[in-house]
Amino acid sequence: MKKDIDIKSVAKLAAIKLTDADEKKFEKDLNIILEHVDALSKMNIEDEEINIHPLGEKLNLREDVSSEFLTHDEAMSNSPETEDGHFVVPPSLD
Amino acid sequence: MNMVPTIGIETHVELNTNSKMFCKCAVVETENPNESLCPTCLGLPGALPVPNLKAIESITMLALSANCAITKNGMFHRKNYFYPDLPKNYQISQFDLPVGVDGSIEIILNETKEIVEIERVHMEEDTGKSIHKGSGRIDSATSTLLDFNRSGVPLVEIVTKPVIKSSKEAVSYIEELRQLVIDLKISEGKLEKGNLRFDANISVAQEGDNELGVKVEIKNMNSLRSLEKAIDYEIKRQTKLIESNEVIIQETRHWDEDKEVTSSMRSKEGSADYRYFSDPDLPNMILSDEFIDNIKKTIPILPSEKRDKLSETGLSISESNYLSKSEEWIYDLFLKTQKITNDTKSTFNLITGELQGQLRKAGTEELPEWFTSERLSEIIKMINENKISFTSGKEILTNLIKNEIIPTKYAEDNNLIQDNDSDEIAKIVQNVIESNKEVVERIKDGEEKLVGFLVGQIIKSSKGNINPSIAKDLLLKEL
Amino acid sequence: MNIANLSISEISNLYKNKELKPSEVYKEVFTNASLSESIIHAHLKLFQDEATEASKLSDERYAKGNPLSDIDGIPIAIKDNINLKNHETTCSSKMLSNYVSPYDATVITKLRNNGVVFTGKTNLDEFAMGSSTENSAFGPTKNPWNPEHVPGGSSGGSAAVVSVGSAIASLGSDTGGSIRQPASFCGVVGFKPTYGTVSRYGLVAFASSLDQIGPITNSVEDAKILYNSIKGHDPLDATSIKESTVEIPTDKNAKIGVIKELMEEGISDESKKEVEKTIKLLEENGNKVVEVSLPLTKMALSIYYLIAPAECSANLSRFDGVRYGIREAGATSYEMMENTRAEGFGEEVKKRILLGTYALSAGYYDAYYGQALKARSAITKDFENIFKEVDYLISPTTPTPAFKFGEKTENPLEMYMSDLCTIPANLAGIPAISIPTGLSKEDMPLSIQLMSPARTDSSLLEFSETIEKLLGFNQRTLLLEDMK
Repeated sequence: MKKDIDIKSVAKLAAIKLTDADEKKFEKDLNIILEHVDALSKMNIEDEEINIHPLGEKLNLREDVSSEFLTHDEAMSNSPETEDGHFVVPPSLD
Repeated sequence: MNMVPTIGIETHVELNTNSKMFCKCAVVETENPNESLCPTCLGLPGALPVPNLKAIESITMLALSANCAITKNGMFHRKNYFYPDLPKNYQISQFDLPVGVDGSIEIILNETKEIVEIERVHMEEDTGKSIHKGSGRIDSATSTLLDFNRSGVPLVEIVTKPVIKSSKEAVSYIEELRQLVIDLKISEGKLEKGNLRFDANISVAQEGDNELGVKVEIKNMNSLRSLEKAIDYEIKRQTKLIESNEVIIQETRHWDEDKEVTSSMRSKEGSADYRYFSDPDLPNMILSDEFIDNIKKTIPILPSEKRDKLSETGLSISESNYLSKSEEWIYDLFLKTQKITNDTKSTFNLITGELQGQLRKAGTEELPEWFTSERLSEIIKMINENKISFTSGKEILTNLIKNEIIPTKYAEDNNLIQDNDSDEIAKIVQNVIESNKEVVERIKDGEEKLVGFLVGQIIKSSKGNINPSIAKDLLLKEL
Repeated sequence: MNIANLSISEISNLYKNKELKPSEVYKEVFTNASLSESIIHAHLKLFQDEATEASKLSDERYAKGNPLSDIDGIPIAIKDNINLKNHETTCSSKMLSNYVSPYDATVITKLRNNGVVFTGKTNLDEFAMGSSTENSAFGPTKNPWNPEHVPGGSSGGSAAVVSVGSAIASLGSDTGGSIRQPASFCGVVGFKPTYGTVSRYGLVAFASSLDQIGPITNSVEDAKILYNSIKGHDPLDATSIKESTVEIPTDKNAKIGVIKELMEEGISDESKKEVEKTIKLLEENGNKVVEVSLPLTKMALSIYYLIAPAECSANLSRFDGVRYGIREAGATSYEMMENTRAEGFGEEVKKRILLGTYALSAGYYDAYYGQALKARSAITKDFENIFKEVDYLISPTTPTPAFKFGEKTENPLEMYMSDLCTIPANLAGIPAISIPTGLSKEDMPLSIQLMSPARTDSSLLEFSETIEKLLGFNQRTLLLEDMK
């Protein structure tokens, strides 16, 4: 497997601002790990079925009943910035 | 050269469940922000999702009604992107194993039935609401306020294949889908409340081309009117670009309601690599044959089936379509009344014209319980048999809406029964001619419009009980 | 009598016989904490005042003869990635340094209902990512047996507090060995239950398909008591399983397999010797012990280092400075998030998020994450097949005893290797326990790991009690004794 990690675009996807030094270090570390996990590519496991639950359990659904949990104040209690009962962030673009 | 547009539509329909998709928080309509929240829909550390059975039933019901194949071993996926109104910064959605695939919905375009092929029907959770503060334009906002009441409300997304050919067809498709979710009782289906939200993918290619043109996605169309206008605008814009040999960019464009143009959106920050992967918090979802059969049993009559039934009475396709998209009681009233009167045309006209008009004027949408198809039929029959004038029929209808009356009895008691005896009428006609000799002369000289005046005189002297058409016939004979 | 060395059942009996009061035990553990914390830094928060008050209510319940359960009044410490209402849940991250949880995790609710009064929140590797607690944003925890050595991780704080006696028992979380490895390094018992038997609701997710809460205790019996108080189906966790216990032999008919691949290169002689010693005792006990091969265990680390980072990359997306936690300024909301995450996350967390993001990104999904999921299915099948031959699997818990600080920080793989023996159980979702066996040449604790089929937790605990008895090892750290 070719390893051409575009660390800048990965960081962009992950929303983590990296310094130049960070980029170098992480690129190196990621390459070490990816080289190690490369062993997987040689496994012949085409037909393995994937179960999301490790024990193969299936999903149970919940009855459509509503109940209250957090009060408005509890929900807002950790907010870095609020205004008129809203959470506030710097402008977001659509 | 002739240009052919191709349109695909993605519609998000808000389901009418009590609680949200993955938590027990109530789905609320409130102006108060951040009132209906829990750790799950607020994305607090450690919270987990548990899916709503009713929502999955609703989505399955819609998928079945849209003739989709149901994915029996399905799952949920995480769609990853950073945006402040998305609390977990991933949306739980469905990727390669949606609830329904490969379906079709019948729509009516003018007087023909068309089929819109459906690519997929799947579950999504809604995001919170952003309010951009500042100058009112998104790109010059100074801050964004967030309300997460809507976060986690269940949505079903219906994606058509790129098969729609015009803005009119697109509108007709949305109207049909809206009726479908209302009839299935899985959504309020109110466009003005944002219960249905749609995006359109539009491309234009030269006629005969095997490949579709470059796809442009249009967002922010809030009504059927803007859907129609936006599509028409976009087709024109792309056609012009092709004709002048310019390049069409694959992009998302924003419909500007005020300027009535589409404009390029600044792309969402970060890239559109959503890194879908199966949500490890939600095991495989098995929809058993039993589950599917039970849902099939609860599917009510669909709009297309309603139309078929209506057409059997002799209504045209568009008339059937109109009634299939009316309130349930109008549809019922029509079918029952038509069965008694056996007169499709006048039953349709009276119900969709006079009755709906009067109700609209009275500001009500419901009929009193005494307003039965039997009583309505009496009115229609009396009019058809010339026993009463249409005007009297309207009067009886007005009274029937207000009071518990029996139309035939009301007509008699109020002297509304028309005199259809020609000898009696002839006498009155003679009298009128005698006393209006001057007018008769003028008619004979060519002033034909004065005939109406004389007919009016005849009816007046009969106290309104004369059938006007008989009166007119006799008058003309005499003249 | 050193109260902190007593077992839960011993303390509970003393309470019932009115020979001891809960408030006295709480006083004792807080005294131990005040002595040990400056050396080992195992707690991020101690609830001394609150717990002292609440323990008096427990006193009253025993006085009236109405304790809520057998663990009423037992001082238990909680790993700081488990939510406890109105207390901070920091996950040892700067990101959540100011976060106060508005709700209780399901395990906390269960323990509260049983009369448990919590003593504090314990240190961990940031967001449970690490094997030494060196990744804590609030400074590492030291090993109570020798502060120059790491206590293991990520539940290093939870293991250290039990080891030193500043709590009678604790809860940890285990994603790739985070309960068993620190328990092994600190000379206490650590149990990772079958996936889904203990609710994850309220546990801050690292890798959802691998995470499991479990007890860290002084004895197997204590682990059993605590496990029985926290297990059970939870409607708030869709991966929680309905109870369906499977029983396997727990007497001399129990057949044990030694995993060949976990007795080869990469495993220290000292660690191997403990397994051999245990095998000998088991054989003397009449149990049949055979060598088995699980070749895919060699792939476990690779599978783990794709699945765990992929899941964590999404699980940790919610830490964005919008609704809670720290916030760094930015001109747009995206820049704010980007800056907040740069500032709030430590290096190891960033590394794993980046790795997971890469493994899931377009063009790489099939080769990495998709392939890892399939390999995980294959390894799970291998375990199922082996368990047709044997009832239990034995191996070292860790390749070496507790290493020294700074020893494994150069190459990321070196540190990851310390989870070599523990990761397979997480991949297969099966229960696994670490039992202390003896001391190394450097007087650091050694242990063995026992694994069994899914849902056989009760049998595993029962059989582990037998092994514990056969080993007869009950040495404690002398840290406090030396200080007193």
